[in-house]
Amino acid sequence: MADSAIRFENVSKQYRLHSGWFTSIREEAARLAMRALGRKVEVDVFWALKDVTFEIAHGETVGLIGSNGAGKSTILKILSRVTVPTTGSFTTDGRVGALIEVGAGMHPDLTGRENVFLNGAIMGMGRREIARKFDQIVAFSEVEKFIDTPLKFYSSGMMVRLGFAVAAHIDPEILLVDEVLAVGDTAFQAKCLNKIAEMKEHDRTIVLVSHTMPSILQHSSKVLWVDHGTIKRYGDPDETVEAYLRHVKQQGETQVAEPSPAHDSPIRITALSLLDESGAKRDTVVYGKPAHIELSYLCTATVTDPVFSVTFHDIRGQPIGGLTSRFDGVRLDGSERSGSVRLVLDPVLFTRGSYSVTAAIYDQRIQRSYDVRARALNFMTDGPSVASREISGHFVLPHRWEVVAERVVEP
Amino acid sequence: MRYLQELAQSSHLILSFARRDLRAKYKQTFFGVAWAVLQPTALMVVFTLVFSVFAKIESEGAPYPVFAYSALIFWTFFAACLSQGTSAMTANASLVRKIWFPRETLLLAVIISATLDLCVASLVLAGLYVYYGVPLHATVVWVPVLLLLQITFTLAVILVTSAVQVRFRDIGHAMPLLVQLWMFASPVAYPLESVPERLRTIYLLNPMAGLIDSYRRVLLHGTLPDFGYLAVAASVSLVLVCLAYLLFKRAERTFADVI
Repeated sequence: MADSAIRFENVSKQYRLHSGWFTSIREEAARLAMRALGRKVEVDVFWALKDVTFEIAHGETVGLIGSNGAGKSTILKILSRVTVPTTGSFTTDGRVGALIEVGAGMHPDLTGRENVFLNGAIMGMGRREIARKFDQIVAFSEVEKFIDTPLKFYSSGMMVRLGFAVAAHIDPEILLVDEVLAVGDTAFQAKCLNKIAEMKEHDRTIVLVSHTMPSILQHSSKVLWVDHGTIKRYGDPDETVEAYLRHVKQQGETQVAEPSPAHDSPIRITALSLLDESGAKRDTVVYGKPAHIELSYLCTATVTDPVFSVTFHDIRGQPIGGLTSRFDGVRLDGSERSGSVRLVLDPVLFTRGSYSVTAAIYDQRIQRSYDVRARALNFMTDGPSVASREISGHFVLPHRWEVVAERVVEP
Repeated sequence: MRYLQELAQSSHLILSFARRDLRAKYKQTFFGVAWAVLQPTALMVVFTLVFSVFAKIESEGAPYPVFAYSALIFWTFFAACLSQGTSAMTANASLVRKIWFPRETLLLAVIISATLDLCVASLVLAGLYVYYGVPLHATVVWVPVLLLLQITFTLAVILVTSAVQVRFRDIGHAMPLLVQLWMFASPVAYPLESVPERLRTIYLLNPMAGLIDSYRRVLLHGTLPDFGYLAVAASVSLVLVCLAYLLFKRAERTFADVI
């Protein structure tokens, strides 16, 4: 088909474990000798991709999602020709460029200018092409002042920006992007995302790998979810991301943290659950409706004024907000043997997505923790999606917009 | 064929790698490019003392320092290509792991930067000619041809060793020893004539032996190289380099997985 930019047909990729750094001629010779003697030789293999077939049409932006080790990087490696499939075939139509952090091609003894030319050459640009784009590249990297300074005097941020700037100017028909949002400061990340948007406007085909679902949803026209080397789902971004998040959440539940409170801890958490307003257990809450997080505890000794704390994490495990009972003036004298406290969210202000909860009990001055259950509870929120582009982040803060004054600007 | 087409498009990349290698080699050194001269010169001084002054080896009528140096610059070139070429992939491992480019460009860059070192080192040879009053023969025009043959052979060797080095680092460890042994198996410090007649056929199976002798003929004696031998050496080298290239391109596909 002429209209597909990328086509994978029954692609599998096998890696041999224990090869590489640890292999020596001795090991290999022993293996060959064993084989010659007719004995089966056990070689540990790992299938990074298993019979993967998909197509990406020209001009599409496809988000590639999946947990670590699912096979995302292997797909990118095959697309960028760094490695070849063990079986199966793939075709790409057009020059492939990768927007990855390429500090590897940099040489510390060369100046920024020399490195731009070296890196450009490594990524397949001709001398004239680099010369033509040189000013743009330098402007993008924001290191104009140091362009004739050897790279070893650069800060790590400058080095990354310069490498990225070169990669951003290859101008390929097919662009591979691996976790842009992990590079540089916020302003530079925004610049990179603008570059991607610009490529999209020019009808380039883009494959975007990210763990940040909002950016996947914001940019992708389709989402490809890989899991354990196979395609789990490929299609509509919202549906695929949601299915992925539900899957991740389930996985999370099976491995609920079983932490070790200090063994002499006088108070410990016995249960943590999410309830709706009627008190029924839930794993999904709805934006704008109330929800309760209930924390049960067991006392083995008298505790004076324990402080309860609940911290919310986003899908990547980053804490995004925490609340303590002391802050809210709740006190317990700890004379009860067991009991529970309830955190009432009224209303829930989380945007649509997957979240987890860490619960903890501290002493009265929050100096010492009696018990911490890291990310012990996972839940989903139904509500406005970040993909709508009208909101961003994890919360919709209570707010309103006002028009202060309208003025006609005189020309 | 596709390989060669891609390689042809990479000429800028080859030069960029060569420039990087040269710049990196001589930056923050006190002697700088003089190092290209120091190595063969130091060997020449040692050889002159050991083989000419102490052991009194005859040197085909030429002053021993010129005799030794005229072979040493080509040997140093070969040795540098061998050691740097073999480790070219592993030295650029982080690059090989992340970005695709025709990997043989790294090898060609090694050869180019070593050739420039050779040019610098040959200036000293010119100085020795003047100092010892050795006449320069018209046969010197054959040097580029011999050099081309040497490069072809060298390329064949490092295409294989660099690919093997990716999987088995052993070859990198063995290389310095191998280079040393190989030098004594070639007529660098002594003339070809001192090899017994009956061993000479076997001796000349080493392509570097015939090459070094040919360099001496055209540079010192003004005689032509043995064309029959050269023709054989050239065709064998050509076949070898083609085979080695195919082998390299096959191995190259999984470099990133095992490097």
